[in-house]
Amino acid sequence: MFSRALGRLWGEKEVRILILGLDGAGKTTILYRFQIGEVVTTIPTIGFNVETVTYKNIKFQVWDLGGQTSIRPYWRCYYANTDAVIYVVDSVDRDRINTAREELHAMLEEEELRESALLVFANKQDMDGAMSVTEVSDSLRLDTLKNRQWTIYKTSAVKGDGLTEGLDW
Amino acid sequence: MTDFRIPKPKFFTTTKKGHLTLLASLQSISTRENYELKSDLNSEYRDRRKDAIKKVIANMTVGKDVSGLFPDVLKNMQTEDLEQKKLVYLYLMNYAKTQPELVILAVNTFVKDTDDGNPLIRALAIRTMGCIRVEKIIDYLCEPLRKCLKDENPYVRKTAAICVAKLYDLNPALATDNGFVATLQDMVSDSNPMVVANAITALAEINEASETKDIFVINITTLNKLLVALNECTEWGRIAILTALAEYRPVDEKEAEHIIERVVPQFQHVNGSVVLAGIKVVILYMRVIKTEELIRQLVKKMAPPLVTLLSSVPEVQYVALRNINLILQKRPDILQHEIRVFFCKYNDPLYVKLEKLEIMIKLANDKNVDQLLSELKEYASEVDVDFVRKSVRAIGQCAIKIEESSERCINVLLDLINSSNTMSDMANSKVNYVVQEAIVVIKDIFRKYPRKYEGIIPTLCKNLDALDEPEAKASLIWIIGEYAEKIDNANELLESFLETFREENVQVQLQLITATVKVFLKKPQKSRDIVQQVLQIATTDCDNPDIRDRAYVYWRLLSTDPQAAKAVVLSEKPAISVENQSISGPLLDELINHISTLASVYHKPPESFLGRGTFGADAVQRRAIEEQEEESRESPIQEQVKNENLLDLDFSDTSATPTSANPPSAVSPFSESTSTNIDDLLGLFGNDTKFGTTANSSTTPAGSSATTQSNALNDLVSLI
Repeated sequence: MFSRALGRLWGEKEVRILILGLDGAGKTTILYRFQIGEVVTTIPTIGFNVETVTYKNIKFQVWDLGGQTSIRPYWRCYYANTDAVIYVVDSVDRDRINTAREELHAMLEEEELRESALLVFANKQDMDGAMSVTEVSDSLRLDTLKNRQWTIYKTSAVKGDGLTEGLDW
Repeated sequence: MTDFRIPKPKFFTTTKKGHLTLLASLQSISTRENYELKSDLNSEYRDRRKDAIKKVIANMTVGKDVSGLFPDVLKNMQTEDLEQKKLVYLYLMNYAKTQPELVILAVNTFVKDTDDGNPLIRALAIRTMGCIRVEKIIDYLCEPLRKCLKDENPYVRKTAAICVAKLYDLNPALATDNGFVATLQDMVSDSNPMVVANAITALAEINEASETKDIFVINITTLNKLLVALNECTEWGRIAILTALAEYRPVDEKEAEHIIERVVPQFQHVNGSVVLAGIKVVILYMRVIKTEELIRQLVKKMAPPLVTLLSSVPEVQYVALRNINLILQKRPDILQHEIRVFFCKYNDPLYVKLEKLEIMIKLANDKNVDQLLSELKEYASEVDVDFVRKSVRAIGQCAIKIEESSERCINVLLDLINSSNTMSDMANSKVNYVVQEAIVVIKDIFRKYPRKYEGIIPTLCKNLDALDEPEAKASLIWIIGEYAEKIDNANELLESFLETFREENVQVQLQLITATVKVFLKKPQKSRDIVQQVLQIATTDCDNPDIRDRAYVYWRLLSTDPQAAKAVVLSEKPAISVENQSISGPLLDELINHISTLASVYHKPPESFLGRGTFGADAVQRRAIEEQEEESRESPIQEQVKNENLLDLDFSDTSATPTSANPPSAVSPFSESTSTNIDDLLGLFGNDTKFGTTANSSTTPAGSSATTQSNALNDLVSLI
């Protein structure tokens, strides 16, 4: 009992991270890349995944929410106590970059996410025709964000590039 | 921040003070508590979240609405902690219906869990998914279900089998198109008996719900699978298999014999439902078997398990007794030598005792009747009025059923009358319901064995004053009328009633009229006055048309042709008997098909109480409202017309839906009583509605009614 109480005090506080983004951006792949370091075959997430990832002695509780239009309204259910949001963008999908921008800005309006940091992953950099980091950043109008700690990384979930850099940040 | 105060949180704050205070306090704190729970459910600390879930479940089980926490609880669904997962699943099953939109968030976790390494989790996930029954997610249910149906673990497969039935209920086309039903059919041949049993349960359910009813048909191969699985699965599985077997019609005697051979060992099972299901199969298959010897053997084999059922708890006993009651009507010889086990114990609940009485009567024969009578005599001295009455009645039924015993029965009844008279003398109280019941019963015995026990009439007449129940009074008056020639002072006895004629119950009044007429026909000189008096009062002073009409009939009969009157009134009456079968043949056969179900306890076919529960009640209510609306639209004059229409057409409903057929505003008390009268009359005259309307007009002229009635007179009088 005592050790459990101690554990509560010291070790077990979890940092909560949300991974959001449109469907097919690669959120689930990123989550499992974080957790087990491997690429898993994924199916569209109807709902959510949550995993605990320990990185540099910090426990991250990483939530990966489904990106389908039907599920996006329920993202808000997960905003409480969130320390950081990882917003994953499919750098190849130029058609929907505007939708991605709208969803991002709508999300950041939420009161519950006022304190949380924003990390944008311009994903799928391994593929041909991918937009560059600057292009993505411009399309998302990240420069218009006020009062927000944010940064953007180019990543490839399949290859594993850029992910740890993001977490380091 | 951290919570040290409660090392072991109390999830149920049950106070001993009582439920009301508990509920009230629960409601008052509910909003605040829900808010706290919400933040705890989203806590950064694992333990805290888990405690919060436990509290939510605790609240849920005491009936508090925690559906508002749905998304927050849902978030805790993905966890390695099996306990927590189960709790969240429990919550989901309970509240999914209230939050159909949000259930979609759980789908991914379900899908993942059905891939889990632990078969328990796989089964748990598929079971919960099946229980959620929200249209939105059933499309996502198909893939995991397909996987689980083919799972290597039988526990998962058997859970998935039931899930197919649930899916079918929600969306039959989806279940069929995805091949799940076909898979189920294959699963009947599964290597694991539990899977077989569940597949059968699911298929039987689907079959019943399907329109074609051809989804589950037993053939030779499946039959063998069933028989093999029967001995190896749980009690639930056995019941499912036995029920399926009962539906099957064996092709010939040999096959029936073979199946019965495999079923009979189930009689030994400790679960009563398995035993009854087994007995059902055997009874049904006995229809196919022609060999007398074999039938005799089977009947013999069925007795011990039935007897064993009577040593269980009272509730199970009652179910067993109701079923035995049915079985006895089908196979009267089955428990011939076992009457002793049906003797009531002093601590049996009343419902068991009454049921046992009925069975004892069914089992009574000339060999055991002495034993039975002494037993019944014991019962008649117990304290419970209802039980005592039924026991006395049972004695009478014995007498009527077994001729040789009738004298002993009469003696027992006389003993009872005498002893309870002395008792009531001593205690100076009315313990005389025994006497009253005994007299009713003796009347039946007289009816069955005319002129055999006239010697006891004086004893009965002594009790005339003590009687206050209409039925007993009417019975004694009937006896007096019937045996008027043997009772010297018959006319005086009847005369004593005349003063109070107007206050008597209808039943007694009717009997008095008939008895007086009988006395008159037997001893015209002595009783001319009273017969005039009775008919006078009945025709002029009585409001009840039944009484009045009967008096008119007698009057005209007596005044036109006394000889005919004699022939009619004093004719030989058809003999009565105790029916061993209280249920008609076709109904009995149907009920035998439903042994060990609610139908066999109610002794009613399932259609009469299934599916119509709320629906039927709704329909009745709706009809009542419609009728009332109609009423309000109609003018008072039309009401009168309608009223008559209703009376003509709606007899059976008058008692069932009084509000709709007899709106109190429209019907005077008088016409209400007419309606019952017409009801009776119509019954007599074969639904001659035309006559019914004539009689309905309150001033029926004696002449016209008599002409119409004359042809039906015989019916009328023989009924009297």
